[in-house]
Amino acid sequence: MKKKIAVLGLGNPLMADEGIGCRVIERLLSQADTYPDIDFIDSGTGGMSILHLITDRYKVILIDCAYMGTKPGTIKRFTPDDVQSIKKLAHQSMHEVDILKVLDLAKQLGQYPDEVIIFGIEPEAIEQRQNLSKTISQKLDHYISVISAELDVPAEK
Amino acid sequence: MSKNMNIDVKHVTRIEGHANIVVNARDGKIEKVQWQVPEAPRFFEAMVRGRSYEDIQLIVSRICGICSISHSLVATKAVENALGLEVTEQTDLIRLLMHYSEQLQSHILHIGYLAAPDFFGVPSVVPLVPKATDAVKTIIKAHRVANDWSDLIGGRTTHPVTLKPGGMTAIPSEKQLRELQATLKNTLADLETIAKVVLSVAGNVPQFERPTEYVSLKQTNPPTYTFYHGDITSTDCNGKTVLVKDWHKVANEYVVEQSTAKWTKWHRDSYAVGALARFNNNAELLSDGAKKTAKAFGLNKGCCNPYMNTIVQLAESVHVVQSSIAIIDKLLTKGVKQEKVTVKVKAGKGAAAIEAPRGILFYEYEFDKKGNCVAADICIPTNQNHANIQKDFEKLVPEILDQNEATIRLKLEMLVRAYDPCVSCSTHMLDVKFIR
Repeated sequence: MKKKIAVLGLGNPLMADEGIGCRVIERLLSQADTYPDIDFIDSGTGGMSILHLITDRYKVILIDCAYMGTKPGTIKRFTPDDVQSIKKLAHQSMHEVDILKVLDLAKQLGQYPDEVIIFGIEPEAIEQRQNLSKTISQKLDHYISVISAELDVPAEK
Repeated sequence: MSKNMNIDVKHVTRIEGHANIVVNARDGKIEKVQWQVPEAPRFFEAMVRGRSYEDIQLIVSRICGICSISHSLVATKAVENALGLEVTEQTDLIRLLMHYSEQLQSHILHIGYLAAPDFFGVPSVVPLVPKATDAVKTIIKAHRVANDWSDLIGGRTTHPVTLKPGGMTAIPSEKQLRELQATLKNTLADLETIAKVVLSVAGNVPQFERPTEYVSLKQTNPPTYTFYHGDITSTDCNGKTVLVKDWHKVANEYVVEQSTAKWTKWHRDSYAVGALARFNNNAELLSDGAKKTAKAFGLNKGCCNPYMNTIVQLAESVHVVQSSIAIIDKLLTKGVKQEKVTVKVKAGKGAAAIEAPRGILFYEYEFDKKGNCVAADICIPTNQNHANIQKDFEKLVPEILDQNEATIRLKLEMLVRAYDPCVSCSTHMLDVKFIR
C-alpha cells in the first residue's frame, strides 16, 4: 500500500553532484522511522517511471540537481508552476526525461497529487565520479534540515 | 528530384541521450548523410576497477535508467563466471522473471511513449492524451504493471538491489508471486488492446528494407526464444553459434570520425541487434500469443525493415508475459525459499551476455585473488547498432530524396527511434528558469 506522501530523490550517483537527490534519500532513509507516513524513494534516472511513483499520493516532494542560475550549493524550494523548463530537448526522450513534462502528463491523466514541491540543488560538478563536490557535500546537513522542515508540515488531507 | 537540402537535427528527440542527424544535398545530389554520436563513451569500465566483486552490479545498475536490470544481471553473471559460481534453478528463474519485467517496461515505454506519437503524427505523448485517451491510459496501465513487477523482484523499480553474486538477497513470497501471476493474466488483454491500436495506425510505419546481418543470443537446450541464456548467433551463421566468452570475435569494434562511440561489425560492414534481431534468429520459438501478434502485422522471419523493430517489441511483450506466467507456475509447484549463498573468492576472468531490451549486451570482468576488479570491458547494444543506422541512412536517403524536407527529417528520426538507441544514459537533471 502506497503511503500518502512520497519523497523522491532523482539523479545519478555516478555523476558527482547529479546524484545529490539519491544521496539525500540515503540520509533520509536512515531516519525513516520518524516518518511512518512517508515513502522515501531513490528513483535514480528512472525517467517515466516517476509517473507511477507519484500517483495516488496527497503530496510529493522531489529532490533533484537543478540548473537554476544560482550559486553552486544553493537549495531552492519551488512548485512546478514557479518554473519553466529550458531543457534543450523539446520533447521527452526516455532517458533525458523532463520531470516537469512527466508532471504535465500526470495532470492530463488526472493522476496528479494534490501538492507537488520541488527542492532544486544547484550543482558545482557534473562529471564521471562517485563523490559529491566539496561545496555540495559540506551542505548535506543543511539540505537535510531544510527538507526535514517540509516533512514536518502536515499534508493538507 | 529534390533540390538543395540541409537537414541538421541536433539531439534527436525522444531517444535516450544525444545524437545528431546530418543530411546535405545540392542540386539533388547527396553530399553528406551522417548519423553522429558526439556523446562521451564508456567511463563505467574505469569506475568498477578496484571495486569488490560484491559491489559491481550495484554500480553498473546506474549506467542506464531504462536498462538498469539488464546491466545488473549481466554484470552479476559475468562476476559469477569469473569466480566460477553456479546458481540454483530457483535463482535462475527469479532472475529471469526480473529480466522479463524490464523487457515489458522498456518495450511498452518505447511503443507507447516514443513510437506511438510518430504513428499518430504528434510530437510527444503529452498531446497524444486528448487524441487517444483510452489508448494512452492502457499503455500507462501496462507500464505500471511492469514497473511494479520490477519493484517486486528487484526491490526497486529501477536500479535493482536484490541481486548478489551466487544468488539473491531477497525473493518474492509465494503469495506475491500468485498475485503477480493474476495481474499478468489481465495484462495480456491490455496488450491485445495496445496491439489493436498500433495496428490501426500501422499504415504509418515506413516501408523500407535493407538486407542486414542480425545478431542475438540463441538457446538450443531447451530451444527457447532467449533473452538470458545461450550463445551468440547471427542471420549470417546458418544456425551456428559462437561461445559468449568469444564475444570479441563478434563485436569487432572500430573507430570512426563522426562518432565518439565505437562502431562494430562482424560478417558485413555493420550488424543490427535488438528485438528484430532476436526475432529474425528465433521467431519460431515465440509464445503462441506473440506469434499471433506478429502475424496480425504481417511480420515474418527475415524481415529487414528496421522500422518493424517496434512491432517485434509488441510481440515480445506478449511473449515475456506469457513466459512469466509459466515461470511462476514452475516456481509455485516447487515452492520458493530463501537460499543461502556461500562464495569462495578467487582470481579469475569471465564474460557474460544478455539480451537487453535494445539488444545483446556483453560484459567481461577480471578479478584478483581478493575479488577486486582489475579489468572491465563492456559492449552495449546501442554501440553495436550505430554503424547499421548509418548504413540504413545511406540507403534510405536516396530513396526518399524527392520527398519534402520535413518528411525526410521525420523518417530519419523515426528510423533512429526504431532502434531506440540509449546514447548518453547518465544524467537526468532539471534545467529551469523561474517565472514567478
